Parts: sequence; C-alpha cells; structure tokens
Amino acid sequence: MMAIHIVKRDGERPTEQFVRSKLHNSIRAACLSVRSPEGEAEMTAQKVCDAVLHWLSTKPEVTSSDLRRKAVQTLEIHHPEAAYLYKHHRLVI
Amino acid sequence: MISSLAIIAFAALIHASFQLSVSMLTLLSGHAIGNKTAHTKLLRLTSSFSLGVAVMTMLLLSFIAFVLQHSFGSQAPLVAWAVACGLVLGLGVAVWAFYYRRETGTSLWIPRGMARYLSERTKATKLGTEAFGLGLSSVIAELLFIIAPMAISALVLIQLEPSLQLLGIALYTGVSLFSLLIVWGLIGSGHKLSQIQKWRESNKRFLQFAAGSGLLILGFYVYVDQVVTATALAGGSL
Repeated sequence: MMAIHIVKRDGERPTEQFVRSKLHNSIRAACLSVRSPEGEAEMTAQKVCDAVLHWLSTKPEVTSSDLRRKAVQTLEIHHPEAAYLYKHHRLVI
Repeated sequence: MISSLAIIAFAALIHASFQLSVSMLTLLSGHAIGNKTAHTKLLRLTSSFSLGVAVMTMLLLSFIAFVLQHSFGSQAPLVAWAVACGLVLGLGVAVWAFYYRRETGTSLWIPRGMARYLSERTKATKLGTEAFGLGLSSVIAELLFIIAPMAISALVLIQLEPSLQLLGIALYTGVSLFSLLIVWGLIGSGHKLSQIQKWRESNKRFLQFAAGSGLLILGFYVYVDQVVTATALAGGSL
C-alpha cells in the first residue's frame, strides 16, 4: 500500500504519514475509557482500522479531521459509547 | 451569623455549578482508564486532583478575605459591597450569555490557548503530585467566574469572629466541591465516563442558567441586605 499523507489540523504542522498503530491505540483507548473489556477494545480497534484503511486506499492525502470523522463513523457502528467520547474528546474543556 | 453562613453556602453552591474542574477530572480519568491504569492509581489521581482543588479554593478565599480585612478591618465600606454586588450581577448576566461555547460538547468560554494547555497537561498527568498541581491550577484557570462568589464570601467572612471565619472557609470549600465530589464518586464506583459526559452535555444549558440566576439572586440579595438596608438605616438615624 502506498504511503498516505495526513494534513494536520489548521495546516500549521507539517503533514505526516498515516500510521495504523497510532489510530489503533487511540480507538482502543477510547473503548477502554468506557470500561470495555480489553479483548473487545482490541477487536473494535481492528475493525475500525480496517475500515479506515479501506477508505484510505484510494486517497493519497487526507486531512486529520476527515480521518477522525471516518473513524468516528465506523466506531459508531461498533461501539457508540466509545464513539461519543472519541468524537467529543477535544470538546470537554 | 446564620444568614452570613447561608450567604457563604449559597455563594459556594454557585461556585460548585462552574464546570472547569469537573471537565478536567473527567478528562484525567478518561486518559487514565484508557491507558489501563489500575483502579487504585486512578483513585489516587482523582483524589489528588480533588484535594488540589480544595486546597486552592481554601487558599484563594483566605487570601481574598485577608486582603479585604487588611484594607477595611472587620467592616467593609458600603462602596466595597456595592462593587462586589455589581461584579456578581454583571457576571450573572455574562454567565447566562457566555459560559458554554455554542458548539457540541462542554467547551467553556475560557481562552482557547489555556484550554489546550490544560488539556495537554491533563493528558500528560501520571503522578499523584502532578494531579494535585493540576487541581490547583484548575481553580486559577476558573478565577474569571469564581471571583465574584468568592469576593462576596470574603466580605461576609471578615465580619465574623475568627472561629466562625474558619468555619466559613471550611463551609465554602466543602460546598464548592459538591459537584466535583459527585463526579469523583461516580468515577470511583465504576460508572462510564461517556454517561457522565453525556449527562453534563445534555444538562449544560440548565447548569448555565442555574449558575447565572444564582449569581443574580445572590447579588440582588446582598445589595439589599448590606447596601440598601444600611443606607436606609443611616438615613433614618439622621
């Protein structure tokens, strides 16, 4: 699979390559935050990462906001409560 | 004496309805649970944070009361009461209009740079001492909103005897921690953060209305009790 570039928020920081493990860990942390068992959190993170990678396969470059939106969309199907926290993470304070 | 303590308790209840410390506690717990932190460590972090909030609230109220007592003695002039009431009433209207940002979530009207910094610090907090420091700074960050109820409480405090002043400070601190301790208890007893955050989000307009209305009631009551009554009594004795 070719390298996918992620354009960061506000375009202030340089673009970076998509790293699956980074997305996986953040989804897993969101699931654990709502007290999901570890196995379920791992499985949900796998499913979301697979769906996001499939979506990314035709795109050489996406913004981090689009990536987040797609991840939330998929997470809402598999784990709505974790999706809520993942979506609102930056809107707590 | 009872009415003085009632004013302090009511001001502290208004303080308790402000949400920055609660937001930070929610975020801190979210990161800790997401990183598979052991429950005892989670409790240590959240307890240290709450203790930090309590200590800074106590210190800040004591400091304001000390400055006022040093400046005015045990009886503040009418103009000081009038200024404090004006501050409370103005803040009440401002809270009605601005407390939460007009977007989803529970973002507050504090400078975005400060909010980002607090968010990053919360994420990086791993030790009890860091959590304690975070609790201290959360009270400072919320100073814009809590200064008014604190100023009124400090003006009331300086009129009391020293032993009652200590009781007043303890009462203010205890009541102002009310909402934080509820969330601390819910997190400690294993409730889901998503449920707590959803409740906070769906009730944020009510909390905003309650805080603003509380400030207006407090300001109006204290103005009548301390300024209008004193002016009328002074006029009657002439």
